[in-house]
This record gives sequence, C-alpha cells and structure tokens, in this order.
Amino acid sequence: MLTPTEHDLAAAPPGAATVTFCFSDGVERSVAVPSGGSILAAGLEAGLPLTHQCRSGTCSSCLATLTAGDTGPVPGSNSSLFASEMAAGKRLLCVSQARGDCRFALDYASSGGEQVTTAQTFVNTVERVAADVMRLELELAEGSWIDFRPGQFIQLSVPGTDQTRSYSIASTPAQLPKIELLVRLIPGGVMSDWLLNRAAADAVVEIAGPYGAFFLREGEKAPHIMIAGGTGLAPMMAMIDQIRARPGRKPQILLSFGCTSVAGLFHREALALRQHWLPGLQVHLSVDHGAAVDGVRVGNPVEVVGQGGALDPASVAYLCGPPGMVEAARGHLEALGLSPENIFSERFVAS
Amino acid sequence: MNEAAPIRRRSTVRMNTSDKRLNDSASQSQYQPYKDAAWGFVNHWYPALFSEELPEDKVEGIQICGIPIVLRRVDGKIYALKDQCLHRGVRLSAKPTCFNKSSITCWYHGFTFDLADGLLSTIVANPDDPLVGTTGITSYPVEEAGGMIFVFVREDDYPLDDVPPLSQDLPIRFPENNARFPHPLWPDAPSLLDEGAVALGLHRTGQSNWRIACENGFDNAHILIHKDNTIVHALNWVLPLGILPNHEEPITLTEDEDGPKGLMQWLFTDRWKPVMENPALGLKIDALNGRFYRTSVVLPGCLMVENWPEEHIVQYEWYVPITDDLYEYWEVMVRVCKTDQEKAAFKHRFDHVFMPLCLRGFNDCDLYAREAMEEFYADGTGWDNEQLAATDVSAITWRKVASRWNRGIAKPGKGVPGATKTSSIRLRRLAEGKAPGYFVEKIEDVNTY
Repeated sequence: MLTPTEHDLAAAPPGAATVTFCFSDGVERSVAVPSGGSILAAGLEAGLPLTHQCRSGTCSSCLATLTAGDTGPVPGSNSSLFASEMAAGKRLLCVSQARGDCRFALDYASSGGEQVTTAQTFVNTVERVAADVMRLELELAEGSWIDFRPGQFIQLSVPGTDQTRSYSIASTPAQLPKIELLVRLIPGGVMSDWLLNRAAADAVVEIAGPYGAFFLREGEKAPHIMIAGGTGLAPMMAMIDQIRARPGRKPQILLSFGCTSVAGLFHREALALRQHWLPGLQVHLSVDHGAAVDGVRVGNPVEVVGQGGALDPASVAYLCGPPGMVEAARGHLEALGLSPENIFSERFVAS
Repeated sequence: MNEAAPIRRRSTVRMNTSDKRLNDSASQSQYQPYKDAAWGFVNHWYPALFSEELPEDKVEGIQICGIPIVLRRVDGKIYALKDQCLHRGVRLSAKPTCFNKSSITCWYHGFTFDLADGLLSTIVANPDDPLVGTTGITSYPVEEAGGMIFVFVREDDYPLDDVPPLSQDLPIRFPENNARFPHPLWPDAPSLLDEGAVALGLHRTGQSNWRIACENGFDNAHILIHKDNTIVHALNWVLPLGILPNHEEPITLTEDEDGPKGLMQWLFTDRWKPVMENPALGLKIDALNGRFYRTSVVLPGCLMVENWPEEHIVQYEWYVPITDDLYEYWEVMVRVCKTDQEKAAFKHRFDHVFMPLCLRGFNDCDLYAREAMEEFYADGTGWDNEQLAATDVSAITWRKVASRWNRGIAKPGKGVPGATKTSSIRLRRLAEGKAPGYFVEKIEDVNTY
C-alpha cells in the first residue's frame, strides 16, 4: 500500500513534465514524463500499478480521465477513443504524451486490486471444533466480492449488535466465494453469544476487508516456519493451502501449533490431511498443561522449534497468536539466527 | 450500491462435483486432490508424439491437460510453445507459417514468436509495435528418448528452473532396483532411457476420463476382460481370473526424493494370490504356459508391465489427459536392440504379432472397458458412489500417492476444444463424422482452384 501524496520526483530530466495520478483510494503519485514519451511507459517505469494491456491505443485498459493540463498523441500512434470521449477528458495513457504538467483521475486503487470493501455473506455452517473454538463458514452473497491474500483478516459486523470483530481467514482466495473462519469462544463475548445462541445457516453477516500486512510472501523457496497459538492457526491454514496449490517447487514447512489443553486442540485431522498432501510439511502439536497424549507434547509451541537441529538462517517465519507467544517466538527465532525482516507476525487480543 | 437491493444467495455453481462432496466436509478424503484432477496433473512430463510423427520442419498441434501445444522440429531439435496466439487465441498449428528457423508466425495477423522462449519477436505487418519484446507465449521443455517426444506440460508461471529431469516421470529402472524389487521369474525390464532402447507402439484417443483409463491398467481384477483374448488362447497362457491381495504389504510405494513417485505391485509372489477357479460358476483356468508379469505406475500416470508380452520386452502405457472426458492412450513396447538386425527382428515381430494381437486385440478390450465406466464418473458423483472391494487396494494406493506427489492440478481448459462441449464447430465436425481428438486439424488450402 502506498501512502497518500507520496512524490517521486527525485531527479526530473530537463524538458520533462510532471504527471500526477490520482487513484480511487485517494493516493496521489507523480512522475516525470520525458518530452514525447508515453505517459503509461513513464508511470510503469516508476513502478506505479497502472492497468494496461496492448500498449498500442487499442484495448482501452489504460483509460484515465484528464482533470488538469493538456496532452497530445504520441507521434505515430492511434487511439480507439471516440472524439466525444476525448472531449470528455478520457485518455489512453499508452498513446498520450504530456504537454506540460497534468493530472489524471483513475477509477482503481493504488494497491493493485486489494481495496477494502464491504460485502454481504450468508452463513453456510457453524460448528464447534474444540471446547472453545467454532468454525464458521461464510459464502459471499450474489453481487458481493472481496479479494485478499492468504494471512489477511476481515472484520465481521456481529448481527444484532453494533459491534465488529476481526478474524483471520482460514481458507484461500481460490475457495471464494466461501470464507472459513476459526473463532475462539469467550465467555460473555458478543460474537460468542451470537455464535452459540443465534447463528444458523442462511443468517446474513456483513464483512469488510481485507486488512493487515500479515500475508504469505509469494515465490519464497527458503524453509517456512509457522508458529500458531490457538485460533492463530487460521492464517496458517490459508498459507499452507496456498503453498500447496501454487506452481513450482514447494518450500519445507514446519508448523508448530499450540493450545492450552488437549480439549482445546482442533483441526488435527485437517492437518494430517495437509501432511499427506504436502510431503514437506512437518507439524508439532503442543499443549500448555495436562498429560501428553499420542502425538501431542506438553510445553509451548515456541521452544520446540529448532530442537530438531539448526535452522536455515534464510528461513522465513510467520507467527500468529497471543502477544506473549508472538514476542517469545520472535526472540527465540532471532536467537536461532533468523533475520528480523524475515519474521512476520500477527498478534490478537481476545474480545 | 443501492441500499434497498435485496441480499440474495449466489445462484449455485456446479463444479463437476457431487452435492455430497460440496456439502459434507467429512467426505473429504486423503485423495481429494486426485478427485479434483479431472483435467489431469500439470507440471509433469507427458509423451506428445512419436519421433517419426514430427520430421524435420513439420509443425503439429496437440492438447494435453487442456493446454494447447504446438511442436516444430528445426535442424533436428524440437521446440514446443503454447498453441494459442496471445493476440486473439488463434491456433498457430492450424495453418503452420514459419518464415525462418527460429520462429513461428500466427497465420492470421502475423504475430511471430521466438521458438526458444516464446517471446513476441515481431509482428509481420507492424515490426515497430511497442508490444514486440514485452510479452509472449509459454514455452515447454522437450526431451526425445527411444523414438518418443516428451513435453514438460507446465502452468504459465511454473518456473523453468524447477523443471525436473524426464527420468523423474518415467518408471523405475533395472538392474539398479533389483535388490529392492527382485524379479526371479524374468530378466531385467528395459527402460526407455537405456542405451539402444527402441520404442514401438501406437497412440489413439479414448473417450473417458484419464483416471478411469489409468486405474484400469494396474487393476488386478480387470484381467477377466482378457480371458478369451486371441493371444491368451493361441499361446495357451495361464492368465488368472483375478489376483487378490494376500499380505500386509501387497504394494510398495516408490517415493525416492529424486526418483519417480508411484507404486509397485508384488505380483506373482506370495503377497498376491491368483484365483484360478470359481466352482460356483464352473470356471477353471487350465492352460499350460505361465505368463508372469508385474505392474507398477508412476506419476503422471505411466504404467509399466514388466516381462510383457514376452521376455526382454516391457510394455509402457500413458493415459494423457486431453480434456476431462478424453485422453490419448499410449501403448508402447520397449526393447533394447544392440544391432540393426535385432532392431529389424523386433520390428518384424511387433508388426506381425504384438501390434495386431496385443496393442490392438488385447488392449482394445481395455479401451471399451474404460468407456463402460465413464458415464458413472462423468458428472463427478461416481467418486463418491463407487463401492470399492479388496482388489481395489491398487487404485486407492495410487490415488493417495498421486494426491501426495503431483506437481499441480490442471485447471479446466479455457478457450480450447472440449472446454465448451456444445460449440458449433464441435457439432459441425461431429456432423462431418470427425470425433473430438488429440491433433489440431490443419486448414486445407482452398486457394487451389
């Protein structure tokens, strides 16, 4: 996400015009366009997320509205715009050159398609998966859509209240229009009250999103370490399923998942399936107290990471859980040689 | 958004899966990825053509896993690109147009692609177009072995650096696997990758999903369909009525890190019990000549039948997905021939015995047997409604190992033949008596009057 009114005019060449793009989310970016050059080419050169396709004045993907200044055609180019559209200020950036400084309005956001939107959903299923965890499956209503990256979260308006609550998405974008959430039950919580007493299939829920900078870095081949506490497992499920489905060699993944007690553990079967499907996925299950049972150790999910041998210092780590766990995990991983910029985390507070 | 607009559920999208699967998470299984692979497993090596089908400078178009592919041979080397012009989707192979040795040109608007990397190198009537050099079509790695051409069918964004060697998608080899998979009853099976390997065979289009076809090849109860095949009686072969698992490990997985991924069945050992008679039906096999063989299968669906149909020969089969209801059936026999005489003798025996009696007569039965199963599975419900039995341990093991080691599930074909089952062109071709197939039909030059 770019910050509003950021400028990139470090060294404008002589004869260049300053062209300012106003994205629909309020972000403005300015670039220097060399005399006679295409405005699109200069914008792309500066790394701006300008929608484009044919680059030859035909397909109209790079349509923008001129709000100030003047433009002319790039020499030798043609434009598929009608004269009436030109008169209304419409321009194709690929075949336009700037005649002095000018401004364009764009009808899309600066984040490249991940604008925060509000959407309506229907409840498909509500089910209890552990003593204090509910699984909620939503389905986007006709005409509603959101985009997100695996790891990001959404906000739910709790039906019948004026409260909102945030939850990481446990499913992947490929599973849309379905959205899966894992919700921890809290005595007296408004969401818990709704889930336990009123939520049922076909209930309507309003959501907004996506939010958060905690998401899977694409194309990373170094080993992945994921440490999750409780419903902090949700974004990890989304990331694991995303890795499974993407092309190319898969990274090794170590998931350490901890809960307070065996009664609170959930998704063991789902994790066993992922292990079957992804030979490079290793899973450690821990509970804070109680007796060890088959496949589950007693202890915290942080300390077990690195016990099997030295970690690859190029590893990337994803941490999600209560603040204490996230802090401990970060310290532990840095001590084991991971660089701080390769550790991504999301902490949640009960509400 | 209009505040008063009613909030409605989405109209149901059917995705070739049953209601049970869609609605019941408990029916998710260990081989869910396999159930999802109606269009095949992508990012694997598949046979594309026999070498002799692509002589110097020839261009052919085919389709694998819903991906259109054009092949051209130049100075002996084979190049493969996506057979779908990036401009407006025209198939380059429909009317091959090449102006030099390093490119192929779309015959419609002249978009020209570099054979080596698929980059748009020029446009015939617009050499200065700003698109030139900025975009292109996907290229596919190619290997040739024993007289067969293999293509690594990849998704557009599968990195070329991650392409494994061909050997990882071909059956395990002997003698290097003799200790692990001993075979006292027959000599080492040859491999397509052996020096002097000669592959003879045919490929033809079958009308079923590729998985139905693949599972038939190593199904130990399916040999009933071959009971009265000519070669079985002519050579007095002992072919059991069926073979039942009789051991805690009738099948061993092959999952070596850098090797092919699949399974090996311990046939004709004490781990499987041949069934020679069924008294209730008055059936008894009393032939004289033992016919020992062993079947194994590796991703992306390559069957090996060792010691078949005679010593020193191995039969390979592939069931290459074309669409979700069409596959290219490859039946190939491989023998190592050290001299030209050996090669001529193999070819002679192949032409006069194996081709008519095995690849045709014997395997014809497999083709119609798969077709007989297709409709039960065609809408996706068969995978949930089938009632599997003891011998199906082979199919289930394969589904699980394939779910685990496949390199990607092919997405339904887009903008290709078979993606829309009722297109007017498809219907016209049917009316002309041409069934949907594997090859792109070439446009006949009408400028001959």
